[in-house]
Amino acid sequence: MTNQMADMRTEYGKTLIEIGKENPNIVVLGADTTDSLKTAGFGKQFPERFFNVGIAEANLVTIAAGLAYAGKIAFASTYAIFLPGRCVDQIRNQIGYPTRDDNKGLNVKLVTSHGGLTVGADGGSHQQLEDIAIMRAIPNVRVLIPADAISVSKLTWIISQQYGPFYMRMARSETPVIHSESQEFEIGKGITLRDGSDCTIAACGITVKMALDAAESLKKEGISCKVLDMFSIKPIDEELLEKAARETGGIVTCEEHNIMAGFGSAVAEVVSETYPVPIRRIGVQDKFGESARDNEISLLLEKHGITSLNIAKKVKEIRSKS
Amino acid sequence: MGLNYYKIKKNVLKARKLVIKGTIAAASGHPGGSFSMAEIMGCLFNKYLRFDPKNPLWEDRDRLILSKGHASPGLFSNLAVAGYFDPSEIETLRKFGSRLQGHPDLKCPGVEFCGGSLGLGLSYSIGNALAAKIDGKSHRIYTIIGDGESDEGQVWEAAMAAAKFKVDNMTVFVDRNFIQQDSYTEKIMPLDETLEGDDLSEMWRDASRWKLSDKWRAFGWNVIDIDGHRIEQIDHAIKKANQTKGVPSIIIARTIKGKGVEHMEDNPQWHGKAPKPEMAPIINAELESQFMIAPSIIAGDMSNLENEVKRCAEGRADYIHLDVMDGVFVPNTTFDHTKIKQLRPLTVIPFDAHLMINEPVKHVRDYVDAGCDIVTVHTEVCDESSFGEIKDVLQQNQVGVGLAINPDTNLPQWSHKFIADLDQLIVMSVVPGKSGQKYIESSHEKTQNLVKILKDNKFEGTIEADGGVTLDNVGQCFVDGARAFVGGSAIIGQKDVRGIIREFRNAILKSRRRLLIQKANELGGTELVNNWISLHVIGEKKNQLIQIAKELGFN
Repeated sequence: MTNQMADMRTEYGKTLIEIGKENPNIVVLGADTTDSLKTAGFGKQFPERFFNVGIAEANLVTIAAGLAYAGKIAFASTYAIFLPGRCVDQIRNQIGYPTRDDNKGLNVKLVTSHGGLTVGADGGSHQQLEDIAIMRAIPNVRVLIPADAISVSKLTWIISQQYGPFYMRMARSETPVIHSESQEFEIGKGITLRDGSDCTIAACGITVKMALDAAESLKKEGISCKVLDMFSIKPIDEELLEKAARETGGIVTCEEHNIMAGFGSAVAEVVSETYPVPIRRIGVQDKFGESARDNEISLLLEKHGITSLNIAKKVKEIRSKS
Repeated sequence: MGLNYYKIKKNVLKARKLVIKGTIAAASGHPGGSFSMAEIMGCLFNKYLRFDPKNPLWEDRDRLILSKGHASPGLFSNLAVAGYFDPSEIETLRKFGSRLQGHPDLKCPGVEFCGGSLGLGLSYSIGNALAAKIDGKSHRIYTIIGDGESDEGQVWEAAMAAAKFKVDNMTVFVDRNFIQQDSYTEKIMPLDETLEGDDLSEMWRDASRWKLSDKWRAFGWNVIDIDGHRIEQIDHAIKKANQTKGVPSIIIARTIKGKGVEHMEDNPQWHGKAPKPEMAPIINAELESQFMIAPSIIAGDMSNLENEVKRCAEGRADYIHLDVMDGVFVPNTTFDHTKIKQLRPLTVIPFDAHLMINEPVKHVRDYVDAGCDIVTVHTEVCDESSFGEIKDVLQQNQVGVGLAINPDTNLPQWSHKFIADLDQLIVMSVVPGKSGQKYIESSHEKTQNLVKILKDNKFEGTIEADGGVTLDNVGQCFVDGARAFVGGSAIIGQKDVRGIIREFRNAILKSRRRLLIQKANELGGTELVNNWISLHVIGEKKNQLIQIAKELGFN
């Protein structure tokens, strides 16, 4: 890992154009945020396959469903707060539910940015902290939270090739590059970034970097942590989680989301049924966020305990109890 | 090409009966909204939609998207009639394990959209239409939305998007039945003017207050207003919509919720409720006794038939009856196909051409080309071979097939093999040749006897009473079994055509109500009669029925 930073949305936009060149069935839809989501470039390249529906997210989702029903692979993108948060009915009934034979749900890819607290200055109204909970509960919908720009590119390719509904959440800000270009991704499989024997830190999205930092600092104290990038939240890698529980005896989860029905809950569901071990869930503790300018975002995260320091603290807490 | 009026009508009836069967079997469901869109569905399934029930996912099929998904019985029944599955499957409606879910689901062949949550179908249709454009496909998207559903903001998001993207390969209907779950739409969320204090069951009769069209026009749509139960108007509107390029088209179809069953009509109670099983035979009898009024324009001013056609249109005639006389088969001469062709552009009302001419087989194509929707020829000048040819020509051109018999003629033996194909049988109750004659009384009994023969030979058409039909005898003609009524001097000879047609309808309606009360009595005695009458809660219907029951000797 280097200290290199990269922008997820730029990678997303670039990848869509690459996929669009190869596959004429790709269509892209936006809702007045196409510059921000970096999908406008696709529109320039393929104007006949690009639809900006204005500030009408319900319409965005449902037109995408119609295009998908007619055989298109529809990528619908805007800010996270306006898709799961605003359109749960459209997503449930028009994307998750319609099923014919083995085609479960319609072939729509909901790709959002500005997930979680790190939206920053726009404030609590714009910080989507419930999307994992909402999307995870809809049958047929798979949920991905990539940790870096490389993941975004790889996963965009993968979901364009796999039939069915996907929800993928990106971060607003540039994020550290975690993975190498050669890293392989598979839906439903977590990635072990670091092996360890004393505790597991399972993370997703921007918290993966925090998990790595925490593991590094704990190592100096002689605590060996396994670090998992669980970008595939649904389906989740049950096998990897069970193995981690068995090998390390405790798991700390970390997410930029409400801990209610979020990523930590998903991990706890698996572990409690396969190999119960102590778990600590780091994330927003059933609260809303607030404004923070770019140089203050770390303060906002700190307020909600989403820091490498807190991860390290929870790891030690688990170990002291076991 | 004719209207295909009869095929549509017959299948609309079949579909309506299946709606009754399905909702009764389910003990729930939405008959009201299924009936308000029944003629729209009928026109689509029997004339416009390109589909293949054996290959439901045929790539080039037209897509029908029922946005108002609760009207699923109306969709399923049409799919059954169209051959997607056996009509008996309607009895699994809403039951565990059925393909016919409470709301349309892709599980059911022919269903293109999972309806249920309202306000979504238009957006989804736009997606389908845009995909067809990308792919350079010529299939069309047909969408039906509800008026209650139009409370949903997403409908208007979609309205804007369709205009922006110039979605012209989609034809949208609003089933404007004025009723949503709680009550009348104008009470719950007005789409037209605010109509506080008005008699809401009457309000939609005043077209000057309808504003829904203006809304759609303001959103950039091509708007076509129609009576959504008139097949010819639906047909014409679809044609116009499908020809419109560069802007989306919407047909605002004024309909009546529960249309076809008097006690359901205009009654918010029937939005989502199944009839009681014991009412089914009476309801079916009512559905089977739809009737048509056909003014005969030769009874008017022969020097200005154009004006007579206009009077029929203003009078809301169901057909325009055109008596063609050649001076040979009958002593008189009226006009021929050239005149009909001139009259055709004046109205979309079906032309019911009655050919009183010799050797009709030689001329039938001219009448098809002139734009007739029903062509009736006389048995006296046909035989098995010539009538077979006539029937084929008419059917190939979607023109109704009619046969007529004179007062002194009975159905000849050769005609029996055609009875199942007949759309119309004209029973002449005067000697043809001139208008203004008196009804031949024995025609009542003759018609009653014919009903039995027709039934035995699987007749699915309509008996048309023609000759001397007046306000005084039209009720009895209905009782005899006639369902279409030609009115010469009794209608077209009157000053106020619209008024007299209304009186004809009321007279027939009274006769029909009497028959239904008698049917209720046969099936369940006074108790069922009372229950039947008590279902009629809207307007004056109940009092009128009580009056009829009294006349029949019930208390």
